[in-house]
Amino acid sequence: MHIAEGFLPAPHALGWTLAAAPFVAHGARAVVKEVRENPESTLLLGAAGAFTFVLSAIKLPSITGSSSHPTGTGPGAILFRPPVMALLGTVVLLFQALLLAHGGLTTLGANAFAFAVVGPWTGYLVYRLTRATGVGLLPAVFAGVALADLATYVTTSLQLALAFPDASTGFAGALVKFLGVFALTQVPLAVGEGLLGVLLFRVLTVNARPELERLGILRPAPLAPTGGAA
Amino acid sequence: MTGLAVDDAAWASAWRRRAPGDKLLLCAGLVGCALLLPPWPGALLVAASAVALALGPARVPAGTFLRAIRWPLAFIAIGAGTAVVTVDGGGLGWAPDAAERAGALAGRAVAGSAAVLLLATTTPMSDLLPQLRRLRVPAAVVEIASVTYRLLFVLLDSLGTVREAQAARMGWSSPRRSYRSAGMLAAAVLTRSWDRARRMQEGLAGRGMETGLRVLPDAQPSSRPFLALGLALPVGIAAVTLVVR
Repeated sequence: MHIAEGFLPAPHALGWTLAAAPFVAHGARAVVKEVRENPESTLLLGAAGAFTFVLSAIKLPSITGSSSHPTGTGPGAILFRPPVMALLGTVVLLFQALLLAHGGLTTLGANAFAFAVVGPWTGYLVYRLTRATGVGLLPAVFAGVALADLATYVTTSLQLALAFPDASTGFAGALVKFLGVFALTQVPLAVGEGLLGVLLFRVLTVNARPELERLGILRPAPLAPTGGAA
Repeated sequence: MTGLAVDDAAWASAWRRRAPGDKLLLCAGLVGCALLLPPWPGALLVAASAVALALGPARVPAGTFLRAIRWPLAFIAIGAGTAVVTVDGGGLGWAPDAAERAGALAGRAVAGSAAVLLLATTTPMSDLLPQLRRLRVPAAVVEIASVTYRLLFVLLDSLGTVREAQAARMGWSSPRRSYRSAGMLAAAVLTRSWDRARRMQEGLAGRGMETGLRVLPDAQPSSRPFLALGLALPVGIAAVTLVVR
């Protein structure tokens, strides 16, 4: 659910661009520091961006009978942290605007605020909080990824309601309208993306455990006793 | 063929060799007109100009252009329709000026989308990314975006191959199996992206390239007639719109 080019009035497009800019700049600074210290991470970060783009191209079956596409930023926030996702998510949104005609250039700031800032931060905080209360990895991933998706959709509805308040009930009425219309696809998609996140991390814990340990998602397994005679 | 129709169109476009800065100026002018001018007749003139330039001199296939603009059209139709419905205690109804507001909103968005699509279908991303340096985007960020662009085709190819193999094994025959397959597909793509990045890094390090992936830019000289078009067309649209209004 990307806001199309030209859909937001110019002051709103500018305002959301200014709102997203500090987060994206913070992400860029973090990435530049990382690349300066470890030049080899350029390729890994590029791969993370490409994965986020490709993840949004996977079709998920929807309860309405059609299919929908995940946002891809929830798993990315857990794997690569929100500051990095603020930058990578914005790069992915730029690519989606210019390679798929999803979103736009003047609406890039608004879409980045919803997809690359609010979604990843919400998902990551929910994931960390649930993990801190002793919940296992997979339920925490489900909660984080599903709520990242929901937060993105609520933010986009809020942006549209601010731009187009209802003629009789103002901002509140418009928010109800946009939340209601997009809920038909976005609420099932949030649940679906949460399930996809669980399945993704379940496979990764088996097939890519060293990478998850390096990213701090899993604790390194204790070394098995050798059991040899002294 | 890269697998993304808009990107394929950009590489094959008759405007491929034109300077990216020239095309950016033209498209930015058209987007500015769509956003700032009164929608009638501004939006109509912008949309008509963008479509005529894309299908005419830039020789973008009409089918590619129409298929690409379907996505924004779906959002615009739903968004504009929702914006002009009113909600009050009595239920739903149309705003007093619903048709005019919906027309203005949809007109602006269609015109803006067509202008951006003109840029997208005539300029490959690898030509646009170096332009970000002019906006003072750090070199490291542009480099990561360039790697992302190059890797995403490799990953899309992997995605298609793995999905085809899953489909051949009935992996997408029911919602339950589809979710399981989607999870395994995402994990396969992620681990392949890590593996590909690691191998590329080792290959580059073996060639002594450890501090950057610098390449010679593909210089495309600016054209004065094209620059004149990029300035004159938005100014002309603005003048006609303001006179007609």
